[in-house]
Amino acid sequence: MEIDVNAVYLPSEDVVARKIDDAFILVPIASGVGSMEDELYTLNETGHIIWEGLAPGRRVVDLAKSLAEEYDASEEEIRQDIQGILTELLKLNMIHKDG
Amino acid sequence: MSLYMEAPQKLPDFWLWEERRKKQGLVSFTLELTPRCNNACRHCYINLPAGDGQARERELDFDGIKKIVDEAAELGAMWCLITGGEPLLREDFEDIYLYIKRKGIFVSVFTNATLISEKHVQLFKKYPPRALEITVYGVTEKTYGAVTGKPELFAAFMRGVRLLLDAGVPLSLKTVMIRSNVHEFQEIAAFCRAHSSEPFRFDPFIHLRFDRDEKRNQEIREERLSPEAIVALEHSDSARHDALQKNCEKLVFNEDMDNPEGFLFGCGAGISEFYVNHEGFFMLCASLYGSGLLYDLKNGTIKNALDDFVPKIRAMRTTKTEYMANCGRCRIINLCLWCPAHAFLEMGQLDACVDYFCSVAKERYKKMLL
Ligand code: SF4
Ligand code: SF4
Repeated sequence: MEIDVNAVYLPSEDVVARKIDDAFILVPIASGVGSMEDELYTLNETGHIIWEGLAPGRRVVDLAKSLAEEYDASEEEIRQDIQGILTELLKLNMIHKDG
Repeated sequence: MSLYMEAPQKLPDFWLWEERRKKQGLVSFTLELTPRCNNACRHCYINLPAGDGQARERELDFDGIKKIVDEAAELGAMWCLITGGEPLLREDFEDIYLYIKRKGIFVSVFTNATLISEKHVQLFKKYPPRALEITVYGVTEKTYGAVTGKPELFAAFMRGVRLLLDAGVPLSLKTVMIRSNVHEFQEIAAFCRAHSSEPFRFDPFIHLRFDRDEKRNQEIREERLSPEAIVALEHSDSARHDALQKNCEKLVFNEDMDNPEGFLFGCGAGISEFYVNHEGFFMLCASLYGSGLLYDLKNGTIKNALDDFVPKIRAMRTTKTEYMANCGRCRIINLCLWCPAHAFLEMGQLDACVDYFCSVAKERYKKMLL
């Protein structure tokens, strides 16, 4: 599944993101999202920041740019991180392409 | 394992629960939606008639429930059990269920299955519960009716189970063993094993009612199996027998417990979990019910209950000689139904010993030693 850097990706309505203590957890609540087979997904720090950055109207390139500025990192590297995690989340139906 | 996500983990093994329990953080809670039920089981500790208008009036409404769920989620709760009475009697069941799910909380539901409709099936298919637990009171109309007082609901029960199974909703089937259905134990066990996604479980211990209705309490006493019958049943079930034998060392202490201060609560009640009854009263566990033992969440918060109310209750002590010499230091307490909550329901005192519980526990221990 290719991630289109000029597209907007949004969290599925059927996933709830929760921060409990130091854990950032994604809880699938509907059939067809995640495996729903008794499994739980935890994002690391990078994954968490990217998840929080998904917003209406914000393309992958926009997100990469703003995170690069915020964290003083290379935009290219950050874009690769974003593409990496979005690929995984898309496979699990935890996000969808907007529009 | 990826760069951004930990490998998906099986829910029961997830490290966070243990971490939070160690820190005494909130993990789970139970919501009793109603005391009303369309069945009228002889052993039931709570049920009022389905159409009891006064009971219905007293039930926490959806807004009251939302407030509790919001706070529980904020405090980190990850699990919620919805129970009753029969929770599907609530017209807003679906709203409540989805509201909790949408907080990212894992929801389990206890139901008698007689009210399951196509709509519920679609709901559970699309938004699966963590567990759907159904008690099988009998697998014939006669036995089902003898326990529930409603033989006419047997067909509805079977239909409900069938609808769920046909839709592929995993069920956890279990039973309670009392005098009215014990003759059908093998058939009930076979039914549960054939249709359940979980290992078969049965409960031979029944406690008295919250409302102290003496006529109903007498029915419960009459339904209790003898200690010998309980032990025979437990050991006729090979899984249960093996578990009891294997865990013998953990269940039975080598020496009397050390409790010179006379503390009553040796269990985990109110730590990491709590119970809310249908009127919005916070309880430390599903059985600890009585005046002075409840905290009104309509006029308070879960946080206050956990921080101030729970420690006060858990600090309760006694100097009663009978308690100090028996339950207060008992080596086989883990084989016993005794706990302060059950003692209170039985005798009106948190520190009372209960002869029936004691005989069952001693019979279980005797069998373990053989
Ligand atoms: S079905 Fe459950 S709640 Fe209803 S009367 Fe029986 S035991 Fe009580
Ligand atoms: S009732 Fe008997 S077996 Fe149970 S805890 Fe008390 S002394 Fe022990």
